[in-house]
Amino acid sequence: MIEARSLRREFGSVVAVDDVSPSVPDGTILALLGPNGAGKTTTVRLLAGLLAPTAGEATVAGCNVRIDPAAVRSRVGLVTDTPGLHDQMTPWGYLNFFGRVYGLDDDARGRRIDELLRLFDLQEFGTTRIAGFSRGMQQKVALARALLHEPEVVFLDEPTAGLDPLAARTVRELIVGLKHASRSIVLCTHDLDEAERLADRVAILAHGRIVAFDSAAALRANASQETLVQILLAAPCAAAVSIAERVSGVSDPVVAHTPQGPLLVYRTAQTQRTNPHVISGLVAAGAGIVSVMCTTATLEDVYATAVGSPPTDVVGAGA
Amino acid sequence: MSRQGRVRALRYAPPGDLEMTWLIARRAAIDALHDRLSLLMGVAFAVVVPIVLVLVILRPLVASPSADGEPSLGDMLAFNLLVVGLLPTSAAIGIASGQFAGEKERGILTPLLASPASNMAIFGGKVLGAIIPPLVYAVVADCVYALGVAVVLGPAELRLLPVWLSLTLIALIPAVAWFAASVSSLISSRVRTFNAAQQIGGLVLMPVWGVVFGVAAKLANWGPLGMVSTLAGLLVLDVVLTTLAATTWRREEVLAHR
Repeated sequence: MIEARSLRREFGSVVAVDDVSPSVPDGTILALLGPNGAGKTTTVRLLAGLLAPTAGEATVAGCNVRIDPAAVRSRVGLVTDTPGLHDQMTPWGYLNFFGRVYGLDDDARGRRIDELLRLFDLQEFGTTRIAGFSRGMQQKVALARALLHEPEVVFLDEPTAGLDPLAARTVRELIVGLKHASRSIVLCTHDLDEAERLADRVAILAHGRIVAFDSAAALRANASQETLVQILLAAPCAAAVSIAERVSGVSDPVVAHTPQGPLLVYRTAQTQRTNPHVISGLVAAGAGIVSVMCTTATLEDVYATAVGSPPTDVVGAGA
Repeated sequence: MSRQGRVRALRYAPPGDLEMTWLIARRAAIDALHDRLSLLMGVAFAVVVPIVLVLVILRPLVASPSADGEPSLGDMLAFNLLVVGLLPTSAAIGIASGQFAGEKERGILTPLLASPASNMAIFGGKVLGAIIPPLVYAVVADCVYALGVAVVLGPAELRLLPVWLSLTLIALIPAVAWFAASVSSLISSRVRTFNAAQQIGGLVLMPVWGVVFGVAAKLANWGPLGMVSTLAGLLVLDVVLTTLAATTWRREEVLAHR
């Protein structure tokens, strides 16, 4: 469980994180999104007990990050954006060292190391030097290190970066497994699809502040009440725009000329009421309808708006 | 200690500071001993230098009788115990530089900083880890030197070694290595790059070695009490310096540089 209130961290005159108050109950995944330098890593470091906040409070796994950062560190697992491994060591030796640091006795250490090497398909490489490992294999060792002591809270900074699709899927399944085991998970990622698929809540950071915080579905719904409707016509229809304009609740109708054919595009908040009127009007005017596509805002649109970059024009150059 | 909310009992309890320090030190020492360049330099200092010293400097010296006012052969043999033992300890600068600044550059320090190890355990462990490999090389160097003297000059020459002076000079080796590792760790933990740490460490410690050799040359005249006092003084300095460096070091300083 993570409860934070108005966290702030300054580095000299630079404010890296300001008024950040994320909350992550047990068994939930929070995705931290944001451009480079937005404050994601600093937020994770504050919550993991590595950095003391300049202001604000946070309780992680029941321990206060300001008062007892060592207790926080012994209860959390952290995977940073770089694997951070000693490349002259073997995975077994490396995990054995960190197992000792986290206080696992000989039996528990051996058992956990074997379990994790098996989980990440590394049992064959347990005694091979890390120096020759691919980035993906190194990332797996880093993940194994973070999970070795069965932490209550797990911070994952780009955990699937550099992994092949199957390994990335294994990691995602593992993250879901951790969630089902009532762990709180904070996931920093640039992969919006991954965030949408895995996270119960999404926090978008920009300039050190959380500018959006909710479930991905709620963020998308709040971002735009309107649906973008695209009707592909079989042939040009001169009356298409005027037909759409006559239907109340339709806004900004335009016809775009795409390689597939003329595309009538408009926005509406009431698709169930407006679309039948527009379509019947088009049919009455003799237009052939090839397809109808309704699109709500994507997480990418939400993200782009939140971090201050306008969403891409979905209509394209021909609009 | 006040905690908010529900705190579950820890499934695994991290070790205490002493055990943690030793764990980190052992890991750091093994890493340093695996480093090929350090190993090459260590072997050169531990094996080649003592043999060259015996063959090139001591053998001609024994052949020609010493003039009045020159140090006795026994004092010379003892002084060289310090010389051959101290040369490998210069490796402590490189090792300590690699342990904070170097590991930070390679991004491998963060997992340890994220662990429950205290600042004192991390810093102390890193200092100890920087001392152990040079001391291993120093022990080998002094053994090779003693063997060289026995083989090349004859075993009887070893009996010329003054006991107090020899013991003090041998004891100076870990004390100076400790000092070098503390100073280098202090610098390395506060700069950004391995190169900067090594260069500043070398510049700061070069005069220190000069002073040590100067003091060592005078030790024979100071008697046993002077020797023990000198050694005790250096050890106190080591303890104070390491404690001061460890208590003023903050792990977040390493992470705070953006």
